[in-house]
Amino acid sequence: MKKYYFLPVFAVMALASTAVHAQDFDSDPVIKVENKSEEVKFTVGARFMADAAYYHSDYTPVKSGAAITDARIRTSMSYKDWYFYADFDFSGGKFSQKNIFLQYTLPTECGFHAFKAGYYNNPASMNNNTSRGSMHFIARPGAVSALSIGRELGISYKFYNDKFFANQGIFAENKYNDQIAGFQGVSVGGRWLYRPINDKQNTLHVGATFRYAKISTGEVISGNVLKTSHSMGTALETYVDKFQFVSATMPWADNIYNFSVEALYKTPDFFVRGEYLYKAVTKDRDDETLFFNGLGSIDSWGSLESWRGGNPLGTNNFMGGYIEAGYKIFGGDYRYSNEDGVLKGLNGKSLEVVARYSFTGLNDLVDGEYYSAARDQYYPNGVIADYPATSKSIGGGNMHSATVGLNYAFNKFAQFMVSYTYNHLDRDKYVYDKNFHVLQGRLVFQF
Amino acid sequence: MIKNLVKFGATISVAALMLTGCEHQDFVNINEDATRVSVNHISPEMQAVRDYVPPFAVMAHRGSTFWAPEETEAAWRWAREMGADYLESDLQCSKDGVILANHDDNLCRTTDIENVYGEYVPHTRKQFYIDHGCTPAEAEKLYKRDVATFRPYNASSYMYEELLALDAGSWFNESSMEQAREGFVNKQLYISSLEDQIKYAEGKRLKRDAEGKRIYKITGKWDDKNSVGKFNHSLTYTFEYEDDPADTGNRPGIYIEFKESWLNPSDFEERVYAELDRLGWNIITKPESDTAFYRNGKVNVGNTNGKVILQTFSLQSLGRTAQKFEGKVPMCFLLWAGKGATDLKEVTPAGYADFINLALANKAHIIGPCIAGAPNNYPELNAPWMAYLIKKSGMLNHPYSFDSYAQMGKYFGLYNWGNTVPFDDLLHGIYGDGAFTNRTELTLKYFIDNGLRSKDAAQTVREPVEVLEALGY
Repeated sequence: MKKYYFLPVFAVMALASTAVHAQDFDSDPVIKVENKSEEVKFTVGARFMADAAYYHSDYTPVKSGAAITDARIRTSMSYKDWYFYADFDFSGGKFSQKNIFLQYTLPTECGFHAFKAGYYNNPASMNNNTSRGSMHFIARPGAVSALSIGRELGISYKFYNDKFFANQGIFAENKYNDQIAGFQGVSVGGRWLYRPINDKQNTLHVGATFRYAKISTGEVISGNVLKTSHSMGTALETYVDKFQFVSATMPWADNIYNFSVEALYKTPDFFVRGEYLYKAVTKDRDDETLFFNGLGSIDSWGSLESWRGGNPLGTNNFMGGYIEAGYKIFGGDYRYSNEDGVLKGLNGKSLEVVARYSFTGLNDLVDGEYYSAARDQYYPNGVIADYPATSKSIGGGNMHSATVGLNYAFNKFAQFMVSYTYNHLDRDKYVYDKNFHVLQGRLVFQF
Repeated sequence: MIKNLVKFGATISVAALMLTGCEHQDFVNINEDATRVSVNHISPEMQAVRDYVPPFAVMAHRGSTFWAPEETEAAWRWAREMGADYLESDLQCSKDGVILANHDDNLCRTTDIENVYGEYVPHTRKQFYIDHGCTPAEAEKLYKRDVATFRPYNASSYMYEELLALDAGSWFNESSMEQAREGFVNKQLYISSLEDQIKYAEGKRLKRDAEGKRIYKITGKWDDKNSVGKFNHSLTYTFEYEDDPADTGNRPGIYIEFKESWLNPSDFEERVYAELDRLGWNIITKPESDTAFYRNGKVNVGNTNGKVILQTFSLQSLGRTAQKFEGKVPMCFLLWAGKGATDLKEVTPAGYADFINLALANKAHIIGPCIAGAPNNYPELNAPWMAYLIKKSGMLNHPYSFDSYAQMGKYFGLYNWGNTVPFDDLLHGIYGDGAFTNRTELTLKYFIDNGLRSKDAAQTVREPVEVLEALGY
């Protein structure tokens, strides 16, 4: 009986359709149901990606194989200037929430004003606001995976016209508020673009992003101290084996500042784009409570100052960037989205060749420290002591990645991608892993 | 035509990728990885010192814990008479600077300290200060300071004279009832000093008075300025020894461990250096000319340059030992797997090799890994690939600690049943160059039976109980 409850809902949604873009797809869905008299449009679509990858590494094995890396169902409903969108992923045999939001767009003479609320990509990233289906590469750059911002729950305001783009919002740190303890944290972020060239043929945009996040979630330790933590990392620019050879976890993270600058230029047959990303993580800890809670033993620290001396905290800084380019051998022209400030995917039957260089820098090492691979530990001042002071170094790894690829779209529904990526790793923890070769292919179906 | 070619090529490429991907499911092969990690090699100068150590050396672990109260006169005299190559010990320091032997970080298990002193500063402490030159006011002041910083049951909290009031033998009869002997109680066993250990290796025993108490005297005046941390060394203990009538001529060496850095003064390695010097056992200042590990069927290691081997788990002590002894005395870096401050956390070829390289950089000659197996069930740090890495570095491998024939068979080739096993080109199925053993008699017999013991050494092993009886226990 229950299923019948959904029928009217489905019917209403099916009756309501107008042609509106989707957040995580830039192709129009195939199934469109439109009721012009009610100005309602409903769409349903799906996307499937299967990757196969062969890896060669110096030391640590990387699991070659094939995997379903994307299995998305999308739906949208629009009514006049209102737009609702949701998509869900089932790849890996697990359900995961992707985008779900409501947007109201107000067209004016000078441009469009869009108000958006829900769960979607924080605006402070060009790459992550580009649909995976439009990426022109099988995987996002390592720098973006490690340093950039993904989806968050919040509200935002966007203005755009041919020349300008400004998108900013406020977001929650945890979309389900299921943190172990603490207020869930908050972030603000935005992306601002200027398009000195923007016509049907060519587009040039330059811009910057900024995001500030206050980390307030964590676990309670020592009775009444909230221990926050922040993690980041990237795989080898592949999704078949997702092991993160570049990764870092920072306890006591307090404030996170992300900053990036970007540029994109495209012609009908060529595109080049890139971002430089910087991230700073400051830390905070309730030293006094931890110190006082630790008193009462013969081994207790004698003073708060000495405790702090043995457990110093410091800000960590990371950076990365990428530049990528593509050349269309044949097929539809490259397209640009004014609304999202991103490059769209292949346009119908096409063949293109692409290349990318990416640098991910998660090594923030203090000069003169000694690293013990036997203990995975840094020793301040190079002094190997039994109980050294806590190191401020973060040895998350630096990785240079170079990719060349070939993408062929059979039509607007099916695409084949193949690429080769060389990754060069510099991470103390993986001292014998320097070179990774990744040969991978992808089949994409989306409708 | 071009379109068809592109389509065909794409399809073939995907198929090829998927097939090759599926057929090359790599996984971690630890034996193979061990051959790919980088271990440094011991230098020629260090090799010369390494070779001070006899092959397949038998280290009586704490004197052999199975048969007698560990690190006492009874245990070490017995080990000497059984023919162990080394008397092994764990060195700590008393508050008044006497280098003593005790394994645990407290004295509860191996003495009756909980009954004698409880958790208090010994009631004799003020009088001790007065007896050694302090005024009552000074003694009172020092006593109050001692109370404030007192760590009960830790050897460093007590004057050595206070420790001599403890019984280090009776506990053994309660915990090892089948090996219990009246002599361990009747002949009071003391917490040993390093000097005691050396004297037992030299064929001596304690000189006792008519009541069976050891004879010693303390000279000097307590001077609080003469301190390193809470350790003071303004007093001098003079102990008396006598020839051991049960001595049959074995002269083992000593294998002494610097315990965790927080247990000992920061200049502990220097103190041990000086003590070895004072007792004529520092081969840097008094090298030996005798190179025979065995003479007339008797152990002669104690008369060679291999007479002292140093050892530690402590990363800090490893560095300090390198500075003080400069690699001129054989040094063993002990390994334990875990998450403690000095443990091997990354039990992988890369992690293991890193510790070997650290040991070499700090002028060590030997790696001492723990071994698996009952009754202790330690973590396994002497698997074949681990032994291979040690051998590849040119260092010696002294695993610890052996309690059973099964362990001997596992690590010294018997249980490979003559098969060719991994790393045989280097190891030949033998995963050690010596053994810390709690069963000296068993290890000696195994080495003899399997042709590993030098033919110059005794080829028979005395009965353990008979030796204990001969020693008066």
